[in-house]
Amino acid sequence: MKVPDEMLNILYGNYFGYVCTSDRHDMPHLTPVFFVYDGQSQKIFFITNDKSKKVKNIMENPNVSITVDIRDPVNPFNNEGVMAQGTATITEKGPIYFLPEETLQLYRDIYMEFKSKYQAVIENRPLGENDVIVQINIEKMVYWRGPHFKSVNLNKGE
Amino acid sequence: MHEKTHKEMKWIYEEIVARIPPFSLVSYQYSIILQLFFLLIIGISLGIIFDLSSVSLLYGSISILVAVLWSLLILQLGPTLRKFRAPLSRDENELLERYKGILFHRNHYEAVPGIVIFIPFMLYLFYYGSALLKFWLGENPSIILLLFVSLLIWDICYRMGLGIWTSILALWRSIRIRNLAEKRTELEHTPYTELRYLRRLDINNVLFGIISLFLLPVLQQDQFLVTIILVFMVFVTLINVISAYTVSKVPWLPPDIYNLVNESSFAYVGTSSKGVTHVTPLVYVFDGQKIFFNTSKEAKKLKIMHQNKKIAFLIDKRDMSNIYENKAVLFTGEVKIYGLMDIPYRFLQMLKARNLFLKKYPEYTRKYSISELPRAWQLTPIISRILVEVKPSKIIYWRGAKQISVPV
Repeated sequence: MKVPDEMLNILYGNYFGYVCTSDRHDMPHLTPVFFVYDGQSQKIFFITNDKSKKVKNIMENPNVSITVDIRDPVNPFNNEGVMAQGTATITEKGPIYFLPEETLQLYRDIYMEFKSKYQAVIENRPLGENDVIVQINIEKMVYWRGPHFKSVNLNKGE
Repeated sequence: MHEKTHKEMKWIYEEIVARIPPFSLVSYQYSIILQLFFLLIIGISLGIIFDLSSVSLLYGSISILVAVLWSLLILQLGPTLRKFRAPLSRDENELLERYKGILFHRNHYEAVPGIVIFIPFMLYLFYYGSALLKFWLGENPSIILLLFVSLLIWDICYRMGLGIWTSILALWRSIRIRNLAEKRTELEHTPYTELRYLRRLDINNVLFGIISLFLLPVLQQDQFLVTIILVFMVFVTLINVISAYTVSKVPWLPPDIYNLVNESSFAYVGTSSKGVTHVTPLVYVFDGQKIFFNTSKEAKKLKIMHQNKKIAFLIDKRDMSNIYENKAVLFTGEVKIYGLMDIPYRFLQMLKARNLFLKKYPEYTRKYSISELPRAWQLTPIISRILVEVKPSKIIYWRGAKQISVPV
């Protein structure tokens, strides 16, 4: 299913995403992340440390949600944002020469996208030893602008 | 060294009781109840043996009860302060160590006020010719009875002294800690749990003051002593109310986090039900102690929170020009959802939160009110807007790339 333009504008035009994971006891955890949205696969990617709480949570419970929004402290009618819900997969980690070709390709592509999007902040910092790429397979997206809502269900099989 | 001073935090009374069987064999609450029965049995037996009137027995029992209730309250100080975690501020830590040091001093200063009360009182009773002895024990009481009564009087005086001693020290530490809290930098603070302990000790002492009223019927024959008890009650109660209030005004968040929470406009709230998570931005207010947000009765997050009260609540400062300036604080814990049932007890709290919203987001409130809005956006409190309080049990703070866990 096609993602509406207003959702794409938010996903492409903003730098911070807020990822919510929860552990097996349903205790939520929330962190800001840098992310990229890949229009072709309709997935969201972010890079994180494999020791982080969100990675631990994803191992226990793959359901995640991420919110990307524009906030206006004066006029609530200008508040605009997207929340995507789905399941997360963590790319396997290991010495580069043991990784399958498609994982390597993914690393290269995602890393290049990150570099172009966050040029100002990450400069030429390479992926760290403990960094893993998390991909969110989006199942549902909600969009809001002021009091108006819109939602789409993305076909998981596509 | 630290361990040692903590183990030694005991008063004479605790030390003695801890050595005499059977009291030494049971936990302190049970040992106090045991003491109550022990004293009551001796008192009543003596009363029967020496053929005292039932009124005398009643007065004796009341005095024993007061002494035991006082023990129960005052003896919580030791165990509570023993489990006290060190504040994350050097000055506040030093202050609390000093407070504990004086309270449980090796020279047992805590017994001094008791002695100062006991001696004049005994002189007054036996030599000054107060009519009280006759009122309690009749004419020519036996020496055994006199000894037992003196023991009871010592018990009462010692604890009255403790009450005065601990109250004055409590007020001193509350005022000092509040002043020191204003000079905190960065992440210095005394954790919330510890501040709550201090406040609870003060509230215990308020009860301590009120319990002294039970002594009035026992002393009713003597106007002078009645006045003294009333003065004591007002003194202890007042000092501890002020102390508890002062301590409740000490910020439980370190200045870095306090400022971030105080100055930001938006937060993100993450909820989870049956493993499925949900995250939305929202506006919130902070009154210096508590964090509140509003949610529409129709909102998905409210439905989730009704199923699972656990939440993650994030406030951040984002700066794309310098990521080392980025700051975020994550509170995880539970929510308290205010409903109709809370109006009688928490009306002022709810009103205060509402006024904070009006002050912090005047434009929001205005825009919400004037337009034709879907039900989800209407502002009527309780009916369409629900007040929610964040009750954190864990705090994580990020500064740049550094992650710091802050004790609550």
